[in-house]
Amino acid sequence: MTLKEKLEILSDSAKYDASCSSSGSSRKSGNGIGNTEISGICHSFASDGRCISLLKILMTNVCIYDCKYCINRKSNNVKRAIFTPEEICEITINFYKRNYIEGLFLSSGIIKNADYTMELMIKTIELLRNKYHFGGYIHAKAIPGASNYLLKRLGKLVDRLSANIELPTSDGLKLLAPNKEENKITNIMNYVKENQNKKFVPAGQSTQMIIGASKESDLDIMSRSENLYTDYKLKRVFYSAYIPVNNDKLLPSLTVPPLKRENRLYQADWLLRFYGFKVEDILDKKNPNFNILIDPKADWALRHLDEFPKEINICSYLDLLKIPGIGVTSAKRIISSRKLFNISFGDLKKMGVVLKRAQYFITCNNRYFIDKQYLKKDFIETNLVLGNKIENNLNERQLQLF
Amino acid sequence: MNNIYVYEDSFINLLNLIDQLFINNVKPYNIKTTNYNPDLFDNLVYLKIENKDILTKYKKIVDKENFKIIYYVYLSNDINKELIIYYYLLNYFKYKAKVMYMRNLNCVNKALTISNYVSRENHKFKGFTRFRELKNNVLFAEIEPENNILEILSMHFKNRLKNEFWIIKDKKREIISIYNKKKIFIYKCSQFDILDVNDSYNEEQIEKLWKLFYKTIGIEARRNDQCRRNFMPKKYWKNILEVSDEV
Ligand code: SF4
Repeated sequence: MTLKEKLEILSDSAKYDASCSSSGSSRKSGNGIGNTEISGICHSFASDGRCISLLKILMTNVCIYDCKYCINRKSNNVKRAIFTPEEICEITINFYKRNYIEGLFLSSGIIKNADYTMELMIKTIELLRNKYHFGGYIHAKAIPGASNYLLKRLGKLVDRLSANIELPTSDGLKLLAPNKEENKITNIMNYVKENQNKKFVPAGQSTQMIIGASKESDLDIMSRSENLYTDYKLKRVFYSAYIPVNNDKLLPSLTVPPLKRENRLYQADWLLRFYGFKVEDILDKKNPNFNILIDPKADWALRHLDEFPKEINICSYLDLLKIPGIGVTSAKRIISSRKLFNISFGDLKKMGVVLKRAQYFITCNNRYFIDKQYLKKDFIETNLVLGNKIENNLNERQLQLF
Repeated sequence: MNNIYVYEDSFINLLNLIDQLFINNVKPYNIKTTNYNPDLFDNLVYLKIENKDILTKYKKIVDKENFKIIYYVYLSNDINKELIIYYYLLNYFKYKAKVMYMRNLNCVNKALTISNYVSRENHKFKGFTRFRELKNNVLFAEIEPENNILEILSMHFKNRLKNEFWIIKDKKREIISIYNKKKIFIYKCSQFDILDVNDSYNEEQIEKLWKLFYKTIGIEARRNDQCRRNFMPKKYWKNILEVSDEV
């Protein structure tokens, strides 16, 4: 098999992993080639609009397991391939030199057993770090069930080491990925959390959940995320709209991946991480799923109109963040500016506030931006939804937050 | 008549000129490089300038962050950048470091917006720059950014590709940056250009592998051209190998 064929098979089978981020690490350049940048760098954007930062490949797509949703499962009749460590190193270095990529994302199907697979991965990455002196970003996927001493070795070599939780609940996992017991995955997360420092997995860990392959509600998913962020100190949870690749009676027969839903989950995820929201603020048993028409923050604001309007020149940072149309950057700008001068509506635009959205929820120096009689839920909702629609048409699915 | 103060295009010359204007307490109608084509009512003024230590002087007066803002505005392609820098500095003397939070001042808001744009474009090119390997193992890239980011971009590659020989050429501005594993040199193409651009023997194969990877990694069921173009504007595609044939 030629190198070309291998690359085609092993990148094709890796593409469903949503994570391609290269952030969180600031490795200095050494004797060899490469360093990393804390904010990460996108090198290209694929035809689906997703950022390409890392050479995302599987070491092999051979697998002893049979996870229902996975294209590489044992029972599928697909072409199988395996890279040698040297091949992976050569491609990585040659791509990196030309500035195609920020580094390597290495995952793998399970060949023979978990430990055997991990050892092969470690061999590859050791070669890349020690013989090729590669100092760029490496994200490795730990194999569920691998022994701790192997996690220890791998963690010292890479920037990010992570395991995919795959499904939001253990029931889902039991049904669709029966060999991946939940504790095999949480063991990895725990190990990484306990040992993480500047020399061990400096960029921390992330994980991924597949959305729409099992029956969980958005509330189930977000609650799981919240608990992953707090219990395992994860840097990111990725959400990946389920794309049917196999026919299986246990799987839903979707034709289009639930991208809008995925988008809402990413938005809500940002609210948890940067905006001081809790899951219980945005979803509950009565409303367990996101409103597809309107983003979670605006939806929350509409249900809490009594907390508005907020006065731009006095309300707290956290309160600013609750206002639709104001993000982290603009909130920070408001805070540092209003000490120096009184902010007027004209200044807000300069600070990056989206007035079209914010106008219903704020006052500046106790004045409303629009006539008070329009401050009614129905009116605002219609306008926000209409505004969204227009934006969506212009900019369909642009808000992918990879 | 409108007094247009003229400087030979360099950051040092511009700072020198602005410094002179402050010292003499004159407000310029405009400030332009020597390439400027005057209007009917323009009166071009050339000041005699000697201060060699102007950078040291201003680095002492202006804090790091504000200095960077001014420098990035200078690197931009904004037609009024000189005047914006002049007014930014004027306000800096009045309000000191906190001036960067005073977006209610027009010149400050403009300076911040422009410097942000330069910084963002530089960040994009850290990703979008594509090298190819020439016969003599030198890595060679061509770029056409909106702003003059060659120098700040080169600093990035100096760390990243520190043990390689590389050259980056800004085709728009006809300038070239050369790295010899120690230092960066920036020349005009008229002073120094590279003539032998033959590829190394495995260049073609690597490029094919990359294009194949690029094609494979996109998920067809999620195809989204709009989104791709938002993140990776078409104006840059010509020099980005994997999309260069889609232009
Ligand atoms: S273990 Fe991984 S590669 Fe193997 S079938 Fe499951 S998801 Fe696919």
